Amino acid sequence: MTVRVSEGGAIELSGRCGVEDAEVLQRHLLAAPGSTIEWKGCELLHAAVVQVLLVGGARVRGEPRTAFLRDHIAPIIARSMKQP
Amino acid sequence: MDELLAQFLIESRELVDKAVDDLLALEKTPDDRERLEDAFRAFHTLKGGAGIVEFAAMQEALHCAEDAFAAARAESRSVSALDIGNCLSCLDQVLEWLGTIEQSGAIPPDADAGDIVALFARAGAQRKASSAPRNAGDGWLAGLLAAHASAAQPAQSALRYTPDADSFFRQQDPLARIAALPGLLAVDIGPRVPWPKLDDLDPFSCNLTITALVAMSPAGVAAALGDESRRAEIEAVSDRMRPIEAESLARKAAQILEAQLRLLEPAGEPHQQGRVASAGLVAANVLRHLGRTSESEAIATAAAVSIAEGRLEPLVEAIAAAMKGPTSAAVAGVSAARRKDVGQTMRVGAEKIDALVRLTGELIVAKNSLGHSVKVAEQRGSDLAAGLKNQHAALDRLVSELQRAVVAMRVLPLRAAFQRFPRLIREISAELDKPATLVIDGEDTEADKAIVEAIVEPLVHLLRNALDHGVEDGATRAEAGKPAVATIRLSAAREGEHVVIEVTDDGAGIDVAKIRQAAKDRNLKAAEAIAAMSDEEALDLIFLPGFSTAKTVTHLSGRGVGMDVVRTGVARLGGQVELRTAAGRGTTVRATLPFSVLVTQVMTVEAGGQVFGIPLDAVVETLRVEHDRIFPVGAAHAIVLRDRTIPLLRLANVLTGRPNDHVDESGPIVIAELDGQLGAVQVDRIGGRMDIILKPLDGLLAGVPGLAGSALLGDGGVLLVLDLAEVVQ
Repeated sequence: MTVRVSEGGAIELSGRCGVEDAEVLQRHLLAAPGSTIEWKGCELLHAAVVQVLLVGGARVRGEPRTAFLRDHIAPIIARSMKQP
Repeated sequence: MDELLAQFLIESRELVDKAVDDLLALEKTPDDRERLEDAFRAFHTLKGGAGIVEFAAMQEALHCAEDAFAAARAESRSVSALDIGNCLSCLDQVLEWLGTIEQSGAIPPDADAGDIVALFARAGAQRKASSAPRNAGDGWLAGLLAAHASAAQPAQSALRYTPDADSFFRQQDPLARIAALPGLLAVDIGPRVPWPKLDDLDPFSCNLTITALVAMSPAGVAAALGDESRRAEIEAVSDRMRPIEAESLARKAAQILEAQLRLLEPAGEPHQQGRVASAGLVAANVLRHLGRTSESEAIATAAAVSIAEGRLEPLVEAIAAAMKGPTSAAVAGVSAARRKDVGQTMRVGAEKIDALVRLTGELIVAKNSLGHSVKVAEQRGSDLAAGLKNQHAALDRLVSELQRAVVAMRVLPLRAAFQRFPRLIREISAELDKPATLVIDGEDTEADKAIVEAIVEPLVHLLRNALDHGVEDGATRAEAGKPAVATIRLSAAREGEHVVIEVTDDGAGIDVAKIRQAAKDRNLKAAEAIAAMSDEEALDLIFLPGFSTAKTVTHLSGRGVGMDVVRTGVARLGGQVELRTAAGRGTTVRATLPFSVLVTQVMTVEAGGQVFGIPLDAVVETLRVEHDRIFPVGAAHAIVLRDRTIPLLRLANVLTGRPNDHVDESGPIVIAELDGQLGAVQVDRIGGRMDIILKPLDGLLAGVPGLAGSALLGDGGVLLVLDLAEVVQ
C-alpha cells in the first residue's frame, strides 16, 4: 500500500506513489479535510499525486527519501498550504 | 627576430593573461564595472601594440572585442556570457598568432580575422533579436529568477513546461521528466488554468505548469526533454537577467556603516572609547565580509588612532571614505602599490636566470672539489691545511647563500600554472554538461620555475579526471542530495622543503571493487595478486600504465593514459602522488613536490668496488642485520623488519647481472621506500651524505635502466646516481 490512513488518522504516503494513487489520496482528503500527510517513507510522487496535494492544500510532515522531493517539492507544497 | 617584435611578444602574452583573468572574473561578477574597465583596457592596449608592429588582422579581431565592451558600457548592461566566450576565442586566436610569430620571427602574412569578426557579428544580431520578445513576455522568467535568486546565479536555462492535459492517461509523469534533468536548480509548479475545488478536480487530468532553472545550456535541456521539449519554452539565462545579490549586500553594508557613523556623532560624551572600538570593529568586519580587505584594515588602524588620540575624526573619516565605495581610497592605494612594484622589478630573460643557475651549480662542484683538496692537505699534514679549511668554510657559506638567492630568483607563484585552470574547467564542464566551479587556494605558494612549469600537465590530467570520472552526472548528484554544481578544489601549500598540491572533487569517490575488476580485465596484474591486495594497494593500481575504468573513450579521458602520466610526471620532478577517496564524498589526489630542483641530497654507497649515489628522499633507514634474520624466499632473499617481510637485493649482484643467490651475511642494508613499498638493498659500504647537482644522463649512458643521473665529484670523478625503483624491478 502506498497510500493508507494510519491509526492516528494521518494519511501516509510511502514508496513510489504512482498515478493511480492520486484518486485514492483525493478520496481520503475529501473524507477528512485538513488531514496531515506523513511522507517520510516516500520515494517518488507522480505529478498527479502532487496535483492533488496542491489542490487539497495538504499539510505534509516528515522528510521524504529523495533530494528532489525534499529540496524542490516540499517547499512548493508548503507554499500551497491553506491557511486555517 | 627584431627587438620591437620580441618586446611585442612578451607584452602581448602578459596582456592576454591579464585579459583572461579579467574575463573569467567578469563571468562570475558580471556587474563589476571596474573589472569591465580593466578588461577593456587590456584589449585596448593589446590592440595598440598590434598597431605599432602593423599587425592588421590582430587589430581587427581585438577591435571587435573592444566594440562588444563598448556596447555593454554604452547600454550600461553587463557583458553577456556569450560576449565573454567570444572574447576568449579572440584571445585564443591572438595567442595562436603570437605562437606563429615566435616560430617564424615575422608577422604571419596570411593572418585573417574573418572568423572572429563573424563570431561577434552573430552575437550582436542574436542580442538584438532576443531582447525584444523577452521583455514582452508575461514575466514568468523574471518571476522565476526573482523567486530563486541564489539558484539563478549558476542557472544557464529557464524552462516553462506545460504537459498535455491527458498526459497522465498516457502513463506519463511530467514531474519525473523534470526531476531527471541534469543540473536541476529550482522548480516551481502552478496551475495551467486556476485550480478547481478538490471535489471538482479530475485527478487524471493534468493541469500543471512546471517552471524550472537548470545549470545546463538550452540545447542540453531540449535534448534531455526529448519529444516533450515542444511543450516547453526554454530560455537562456544571461548574466544581466540574474538578480544581483552583491548589490543588495552592498546596500545593507552601507546601512550598517551609516549606523556606525551615527553612533559616533555626539562627540565629547562619556564612554567614547568603547563606542569607537565597537564602531570600528563592526565597520571593519562588514568590509572584510565584502572582501574589501584593505579598507577593512584601514578602518581598524583608524579606530586604533582614534582611541589613542582621543578624537573621533580619523575613524569617522575612514568610515565615510569606505562608504563612498571601493573605488576611492583603497583603489588609490592599490594602484600606488602597483606602480611601486613596477619600479622595483626588472624584466630578465629566463635563459639568463638559467645560466646563473648553471654557473651556481658549477660553483658548488668547485667548492666540493676544494673540500677534497682540504682533506688531502690535512692528511699530508701540510701547514696550509688550517688556512685552507677556514677559506673553504667561508666559501661554503657564501656558495650556500648564493644558491639560496638563485633558487629564490627562480621561484614563481603557482598562480602562473593555476591561472589557466578556471578556463579549462569551464570548457570541460560545458563539454561534459557537468556544471562545476573551481576553487583555488594558495595560488601564492611559490615553487621553483621548473616545478611550476612541469606541474601543469599532470594537473590537467587530474582536473579532467576529477570532472570526467569523479563528479557524477546530474541525476545521480540530485539523488544523493548533492548540489547540482560540483566543486573542484585545487590547493597548494608549502610544507617545509616541499610544496604540496591537492586536487579534490566532491564526486562519488572511487569504487575499489571496480578498480580491482578493471585491473583484472586489463591483465595488469595476476588475479590472485589483485585479490590479495588491501584496499589501499588496490587503489594504487589506478597509477599503472594502461589503467582506465571509463567504459567509453571520451575526448577527455578513457584511453588508459591518465594517472600513470600523473605519477611519472610528478616522479620526474622528484615528487610523490597519493590518493584518498571516500565513497560518496569525493576523491583527493595529493602531489608532494620538492620546493627546489637545483640541489639533490644523496647518500653514497659502495657496491662491486664502485661508488654510487642514492637520492636521500627514498632512503628510510640504514641498518645491519644478523645473518639469521636473512632468509631465502625461492631464489631470492628477504629480511624481516618489525614484523614486515621485505625483499632483499644485493646491489653488486643486480649491477653486474649476477643471480641474486648470494647475500653477504653482514653487509649494511639500505631500506628504501619505492612507490609506497619498502625494499631492502644490501651494499658493501655506506659513505656519507652530499649535496649534488643532478644531471640527466646523455650520450652513451642515456636510457640505461636503473640510473637517475650523474654528478661531478670534488675529485673530478663522476658519481652515478641510482634510481632505486628501477634497480629493484
